[in-house]
Amino acid sequence: MSEKDTSRRRFLQAAGSATAAVALAGCSGNGGEPTDGTQTTSAGGDETQTTTSPEETTERPEPETRDGYLQRANLHCHEQAPWVFLNRQYSVYGRSSDIEWEPRTDERVSAYAIEPATDDGDDVVMTQSQMDSGLDPQDHRETPTDNIVLQAYEGLLERDREGAIVETLATDYERLDETTVQFTVRDNVSFHSGDSLTPEDVAYSINRIVDPDVGIESPQVDQLIGVEGAEVASTDDRTVNVNLAGLNPIVFASFATYCDVMNKSWVESNDDAYINQNMEGTGPFVLSNYEQGVEVEFQRNNDYWDDEAAISTFTINSASESSTRVNRLLSGETDIAVNVPPQEVSRIEENDGSSISAVPSTRVLFNAMRYDVEPFDSPEFRQAINYAIDLDSIVENVLQTFGSPTGQPTLEGFFGHNGDIDPYPQDLERAEQLVEESGYAGAEIELVTPIGRYLRDVEIAQAVAAQVDELSNVSASARQVEFSTLVSQVTTGNIEDKPPWYLLGWGNATFDAIQTIQPLLASDGALTSYKNDELDSLLDEAQSLPSESN
Amino acid sequence: MGYGRFLLKRGVQGVGVVWGVVTVVFVLRFITPGSPIDTVAPLDASQETRRRIAEELGLNEPLYIQYLDYLWELLHGNMGYSYISSIPASVQVFQKLPATLELAIAASVVAIVLSIPLGVISATRRHEPADYAATSFSLLGISTPNFWLGIMLVLVFAVELDVFPTSGRAYGFMDSMAAITGPEPFFTVVTAWLASLVLPAITLGTYFTALITRLVRSGMLDELSQGYVRATRAKGLPETLVRYKHVLRNTLVPVVTVLGLQLGTLIGGAVITEAVFAWPGLGTEIIRAINARDWPILQGSLIVIGTGFVLLNIAVDALYAYLDPRVIAE
Repeated sequence: MSEKDTSRRRFLQAAGSATAAVALAGCSGNGGEPTDGTQTTSAGGDETQTTTSPEETTERPEPETRDGYLQRANLHCHEQAPWVFLNRQYSVYGRSSDIEWEPRTDERVSAYAIEPATDDGDDVVMTQSQMDSGLDPQDHRETPTDNIVLQAYEGLLERDREGAIVETLATDYERLDETTVQFTVRDNVSFHSGDSLTPEDVAYSINRIVDPDVGIESPQVDQLIGVEGAEVASTDDRTVNVNLAGLNPIVFASFATYCDVMNKSWVESNDDAYINQNMEGTGPFVLSNYEQGVEVEFQRNNDYWDDEAAISTFTINSASESSTRVNRLLSGETDIAVNVPPQEVSRIEENDGSSISAVPSTRVLFNAMRYDVEPFDSPEFRQAINYAIDLDSIVENVLQTFGSPTGQPTLEGFFGHNGDIDPYPQDLERAEQLVEESGYAGAEIELVTPIGRYLRDVEIAQAVAAQVDELSNVSASARQVEFSTLVSQVTTGNIEDKPPWYLLGWGNATFDAIQTIQPLLASDGALTSYKNDELDSLLDEAQSLPSESN
Repeated sequence: MGYGRFLLKRGVQGVGVVWGVVTVVFVLRFITPGSPIDTVAPLDASQETRRRIAEELGLNEPLYIQYLDYLWELLHGNMGYSYISSIPASVQVFQKLPATLELAIAASVVAIVLSIPLGVISATRRHEPADYAATSFSLLGISTPNFWLGIMLVLVFAVELDVFPTSGRAYGFMDSMAAITGPEPFFTVVTAWLASLVLPAITLGTYFTALITRLVRSGMLDELSQGYVRATRAKGLPETLVRYKHVLRNTLVPVVTVLGLQLGTLIGGAVITEAVFAWPGLGTEIIRAINARDWPILQGSLIVIGTGFVLLNIAVDALYAYLDPRVIAE
């Protein structure tokens, strides 16, 4: 969100509170399933607070805004506990004292933001855990590749360090009507080859993602969901119209995360293998050397449309072993070591020329519980598991404070986050009582966790299982599986293929609640383990309103 | 049977084995859990996107069609395209092969330089302290995990003493050759190339040092008890000459065979060492391909390694047959 947008959102929130106070249209909040009524709950930032007792039906005023609906959806998830809420993951970097640099929330490292602190800081090297999956900026969707392509390619909109949307290759963007948005393309921008950026390049780049008949099957298509295509509106005033299937509240947030602009004639005159080994972008760095799977070298783009980058070269290489990345940093071979695990932190802190930079990431870790199988079909049982867990101890002991506890699917700072929800506190007595109420006393449950996919995933799962096992009326254990095995079970589109209880992490680079709740908890979500009509209708309402954030 | 026919027979057998390797790695793909679509497509991709990706990768064809297609393309030198990067698998695999070959050869050199003197010492000073020291060393070598040794070497020689780089491979053999005429100073390139090779080569070589030390020791003990040794000693030949000219030479014939075959094992088995040293070789590539279910790359790498193993075997057989024609008759 830009400053202007933030103030607009605040205005709408204030307006929302005023109208909410008189709106009496009730919303049961029960969704057919009994809720834990003794908890003090609030209905979201733009609504009045309501305290409910076991006897009362929760009555909450109808939200007025998209933000309000999303906050209500988060409240619903907190109360119905389709997940064991765990933690927000932090991105932990080791950084040499030769450079000035602060990490970004969305896990992307832009060399444009790096400044030299000493003479050695002009040529910067970064070591991450793996290299790119090819240099085509539209043919991938994972952080290691993002980090490489974003040095040379740019989108219409991008994000600043806090995640706010900023204009890059677009100088203006607006909603023309429900199904059309318009971008004005920046003038006097040239690709690295010298070709000028045209609105046609922009329209082609959008179509290449959303239309499989234009070249590739882009994995970003599901990020630009609802975008049907783009066409040049006018070359004179440099505008491009993007056609949407319906109102898409987060269309600008999506464009700020994905959709790099490529040179149409360059793409059309080269094959996939070439496009994956070369770069032709408009960004602040120009590719100078590419050794597939080994190293990528960039040089400063001296014809950049904005201020030139502060450093002259940027090299990215990889080491899958975390100790190797740390050793490289300690011996001065690299300036940024990505993904430093907690056990390596002290080595970096104790070394003279290096320090740790940590930032809350966009990833939430949770244990999904299938709503359709015993004992997880009982909301009381699901809440009980949440009460059984000491999140603070997990964050402190397993993650060594590089994480923060969560109590809802949407992270703090994201659009739709409900600031009034606190994580479940550990309360074993209450947990045991809820298990009794659920009728599943004596249940034996097994938590399935991937190995090494997320920061300390196995250790977190073991801690969770051990803490749940402490309950006198539930026994729990953890089982490790390879990540791809878990993926093949959770992505079939069929809820019955999933394990009843499993650990998963979810990154959401759009900074909007919908991109987490929709795929994971809506009835028709691609990865859902939950089904509830009330949640679905809250999400539908939210998606029918324009977002206040853009 | 003549030498030519012997080679032909071995060659035909070799082709059969390679075909077997191709078939096995192809079948592996279908019995391994996890589909490549899951790693190509994002987690929240729609079923429609998944279906299109399957179609694009040719995964929707019946199994036997995929197999025949694969064989046909392979015969034309086409290993397919990486599912992940769309780069031809042959390009990606053969780019990584030199780094692994260099590492395997360097590790063999480390093994030879260390193991032959150690083996000789322990054989000639049997049951003396020197023998115990050498056998203990080889026992230690076999039982020390590669990754631990690698990390320790890096901590001491790279992080603390700063004599070698911690990891990576700045230059290769070909870069060094190119530097003779190229713009970069030859000496700098060669030093950087060798410096990056030292620690991984020692790490990988130590295990084989242990293996070969024991082979040299037992081989030499065998030879020392042979009649011809007594004869040479009786002739009054100095003991040094007996040991190093006659006995060691005969001991080394089986050692060379083992070394030849071990080179194949080294190429395939350098995976852990490559991971510790972020060595950009086939091992690293294989791990990446397994994690990403990038089957064309994985199949390509395994076929190259398998074929290399078969070729080494044939070469060793041919050499044996040449040196000892009785092998052909057998």
